[in-house]
Amino acid sequence: MRRVPILLAALLLGGCDGIQSVMSPAGDGAAALHDLLLLSVAVCGAIYLLVMGGLGWSLWRRRAETVSEPASEEPALDRSLWVAAAVILAGLTILIIGSFLADQALFATRGSEALQLRVTGHQYWWRIEYRDPATGRWIETANELHLPQGRTARVALGSADVIHSFWVPNVAGKIDMVPGRRNLIDLTPRRLGWFRGQCSEYCGTQHAHMAFDVKVDSPAVFDAWLMAQARPANAVAGPVAARGASVFAGPCAACHAVRGTGAGGRAGPDLTHFASRRSIAAGTLPMTRGNVQAWITQPQALKPGVPMPAVPLSPQDADAVAHYLATLR
Amino acid sequence: MACAAVLATACSREAREVGVTPPQTPPVGNEDPRIAAYQDNLYQVSEGGRYFAWYGCSGCHSETPNNVVNLADSQWRYGFGFAQVYGAIAARHGRFAYGKRVPVEQLWQLTAYVRDLSSHFPEKRRRVNADQKAEPVGGSWQGPQ
Repeated sequence: MRRVPILLAALLLGGCDGIQSVMSPAGDGAAALHDLLLLSVAVCGAIYLLVMGGLGWSLWRRRAETVSEPASEEPALDRSLWVAAAVILAGLTILIIGSFLADQALFATRGSEALQLRVTGHQYWWRIEYRDPATGRWIETANELHLPQGRTARVALGSADVIHSFWVPNVAGKIDMVPGRRNLIDLTPRRLGWFRGQCSEYCGTQHAHMAFDVKVDSPAVFDAWLMAQARPANAVAGPVAARGASVFAGPCAACHAVRGTGAGGRAGPDLTHFASRRSIAAGTLPMTRGNVQAWITQPQALKPGVPMPAVPLSPQDADAVAHYLATLR
Repeated sequence: MACAAVLATACSREAREVGVTPPQTPPVGNEDPRIAAYQDNLYQVSEGGRYFAWYGCSGCHSETPNNVVNLADSQWRYGFGFAQVYGAIAARHGRFAYGKRVPVEQLWQLTAYVRDLSSHFPEKRRRVNADQKAEPVGGSWQGPQ
């Protein structure tokens, strides 16, 4: 039984790590907020202990000693009231200063040059666009955000339908995506690896399945990735992929774009380098051949309420489309 | 109590049937029993409005006066019945071939939306359009702003 508290503590601390946690900061914004959180816990914890201590003390104190005197004439009580007021003021002042400094840290990079990004929230997915630093062209992808380590990326956030909220807890704080407004957030990641972002403002039936993967790369790897994303889609190779491409050009191309082909729909995610991503349907399922085919065949079964309709395809056609999509690396 | 009851009755028109089997076939005549689930459901009608924008229908179907493609003027060249409007969308758009490119359930939603348009004042339609201002429209869309 004595091990139970240790086990509980270990389980609680286990929640502090991970790919979607404010307790394991991997970027400047998240680190500033993490420091503010620790400061708040320390100050509020100290006040809490003082209040509880005072309450305990007053409960245990012998009543007989004080009953005879009126409270207002007790000098010790007068003094302790002043002390309590001073402690509260000091605690609040520390918190205000801490909050001010965290705010300064969040906007410290605002004046400097940064990689330009646009992220648009759609009902249950993310449109992600990078401005090519060399040509000024916008390179579109979806549901997977790549960031260069140690470089600031300035993300302009918008929404195409309802209010969403952009949040990568390990990298920075959250900020709402409001229709008709452009909000800015600066991301400066410091640690390599995979993280996870999540919509954090309820936006409809599939709000919970509106996530995205975040990959922090070294600047060289990031530049190579961005160059690969800027290229048009791979040429169609083989008869099955060709059949898939011709089926895709019908109903799928009305909403999805594959650059370099006739498919130019803008309503759904850009699929030019679809197979290079890690998950499908905005972080709903891992990228596997089976999941892709299941998603094409019956999206409403996997993510009920998603605007992508079930397109009636023969099994051969669905197989060909999944095969074709797997070649879009 | 009475107010709460009156307010609650309006909720049924917004019901979202998640996971039901969508129609796989066009409506059979104007009295098809599946029609009510779309025409009388505000959610399905408004989804039709979104697809209307996504497929770029608003590129031709504006509300300018004396326009044959004005869908809100209560004049129906091919009839106002659900199956007739559905057929006009699916089969009477020439090279766009919406019957082939647009999945069946979306055609149901589009039909419900188009038939719903003339039942509202222009102010209401303008407000709905303002709500959908940021939706991706057609192939040249460049983001919500």
